Amino acid sequence: MHISFLLHNAYGIGGTIRTTFNLARALAERHDVEIVSVFRHRDEPTLGAPAGVTMKHLVDLRKNSPTYDGGHPDYTKPARVFPRGDGRWKQYSRLTDARIAAHLKSLQADVVVGTRPGLNVHIARQARRGPVRVGQEHLTLDSHGYRLRREIGHRYALLDAITTVTEADARSYRGKLKLPGVRVDAVPNSVPAPTVEPADGAAKWVVAAGRLTPVKRYDLLVEAFAKVVAARPDWRLRIYGAGDATGNERNALRALIEQRGLHNHVFLMGTVNPLEPEWVKGSIAAVTSRLESFGMTIVEAMRCGLPVVSTDCPHGPGEIIEDGVDGRLVPVGDVDAIADALLGLIQDDDLRRRTGRAALAASERFDPVRIAERHEALFAELVARGGNGRSRGRVRDALHRTRGGVLDAVYAARYKAADVLRKGKPA
Amino acid sequence: MTDATTPAPVPPPGPGAPRADCLADSAGGITFDIVVVDTAEPVLVLRRRGGAGPADEARLPLTPAGEGHMRAVLPSTVELAEGRWDVYLGERPVEPGIRDLRALIDRVPDEEGRVNVHLPYPTADGRLAVRSWVRGPHAEAGGLTFGEGTCTVDGMLYGAELGPGAVAEARLGERVHQVPAEGGQGGFAFTLAYDPLAEPRPVDGQRLWELWLRPGPHAEPVRISRILDDVWDRKNVFVYPRHQGEGYTAAPCYTSDNDLCVRVTR
Repeated sequence: MHISFLLHNAYGIGGTIRTTFNLARALAERHDVEIVSVFRHRDEPTLGAPAGVTMKHLVDLRKNSPTYDGGHPDYTKPARVFPRGDGRWKQYSRLTDARIAAHLKSLQADVVVGTRPGLNVHIARQARRGPVRVGQEHLTLDSHGYRLRREIGHRYALLDAITTVTEADARSYRGKLKLPGVRVDAVPNSVPAPTVEPADGAAKWVVAAGRLTPVKRYDLLVEAFAKVVAARPDWRLRIYGAGDATGNERNALRALIEQRGLHNHVFLMGTVNPLEPEWVKGSIAAVTSRLESFGMTIVEAMRCGLPVVSTDCPHGPGEIIEDGVDGRLVPVGDVDAIADALLGLIQDDDLRRRTGRAALAASERFDPVRIAERHEALFAELVARGGNGRSRGRVRDALHRTRGGVLDAVYAARYKAADVLRKGKPA
Repeated sequence: MTDATTPAPVPPPGPGAPRADCLADSAGGITFDIVVVDTAEPVLVLRRRGGAGPADEARLPLTPAGEGHMRAVLPSTVELAEGRWDVYLGERPVEPGIRDLRALIDRVPDEEGRVNVHLPYPTADGRLAVRSWVRGPHAEAGGLTFGEGTCTVDGMLYGAELGPGAVAEARLGERVHQVPAEGGQGGFAFTLAYDPLAEPRPVDGQRLWELWLRPGPHAEPVRISRILDDVWDRKNVFVYPRHQGEGYTAAPCYTSDNDLCVRVTR
């Protein structure tokens, strides 16, 4: 099969980029795979180009490049096709509308895969007839605002399939949206086997990694670790990561560490890439989020042989960890439960090592080869159904597009009205 | 964590630069693994930044290690002068790959005499370098605790014994402020009050007092540092509470060379 991914920016750092690269690399073993990045701001992908995969881009933002697009007049005009409800809307423009449209209208592929709602909408609206259309949800339906959920509910009817990263989210898509004939499958993210030897469970370190944003609730982890240190002052905690556009808890965490007198025990390590060699310096991993769309770091830590203590938050952790077997699940927001679960593994060397070995074995199911096989099977099935056999008939498509045209006008009018209202409001 | 020193006068590694994985052992040895080598001269070269003498270059032969890998070993017995050593494949800078440094965590040196640390790290401009420390004797800082206007430093002394009359010294240029140090079983501890470090008043700008340990009245002073783990620059990672004194603020800190100081500012 010829499989074409459409990605926001293949040159940055992030979970979607990482997981798309993993999948593309694995599929490229047997298929013709390309990643089309809407934006390109540097010469080489930060995460390293996936082997065997063709890389393309649509809008060049490298200032020193002869094909630099940042000066294009349409680059500063707001996007019309890319939905406003997608958090990346401000980065999109009339230029991306046109470039993505041209790409999708000429695309010679068996499968086209979108990797975020805005791009899935582009594919639903603009892909030529022929390629199977798959929209990937890397977050969750619930994480999107009302405006985007509404638009998804309408536009995704023209997709062949939607893949979510958890069963919980697949249930949301099936239950909350009316998308007859659109297949919804949960396929978890993949994590490759680390190139370092797994942890041996001897190091007296707990490791956490993720963005230092409020949703990760690292404050709870620091509070819990104060209780751990009271019982076991020989154990310490490293937190890897930095803030992002949604917030930076670094100073607040620093203050909390000082307040609890943990400056000899808890360390904010900053951003480190790759993380594998950092996981294996620890013997237990901790996740205290109130929300994890999937829980990539949980799988990463498990693949390095670490048992993970995680909050049982929506949506991913409960589908990754088997409580008491290959890790621990604790109630969201419960400092005592986090501390108790950590201490349970700290105080019992044998339990910690046994749980770590179980984590190593259980996390093999997230190997890119096995995850790619699941995507591959879905793609192959949809391609085989193909042409007339496909659930989405030509007539239904045409009807939907006509209705879509009317709705476009409605959306446009509504946005305009909302803008007027906003501008009219006192600041 | 940043590389605070001046970058070497060569361009950073570009696309397709050779990339080396590193495996450190607890004795100070490093194994370098390079994926593909298309060089006539298969030698990994370590050059000390700012040095030009024959002792500022170490050449490590690369040998085939299967599956297209080439391997070079920096044995723990090789002493690299203290500093930052950039890694080259021939004349080409090398990119850092996976650095497995778990053996360096919470390390207890067992070598007699000098403590040798070889720590592979990525520089700010994306190249692989090795930070080397050579200390004999060596005073390794451990936990820091705080009282009212004081800081207590606990640590381990290697290659010397703390005797009667041992002192810790805070040094600022020509000025030396001494406090008694005590210890036993290889450890040392001393408590430093911040007030004397804020004299004379007023405190203008920044005073960075270096901390040294003098194991006995006639012994040479030993710089107090923290180098026995995998953190090559702990300046922004090991951060300590600040004391607000009268007319000054004081807190211990590490330099980008991992030396322990007390910073006094207005």
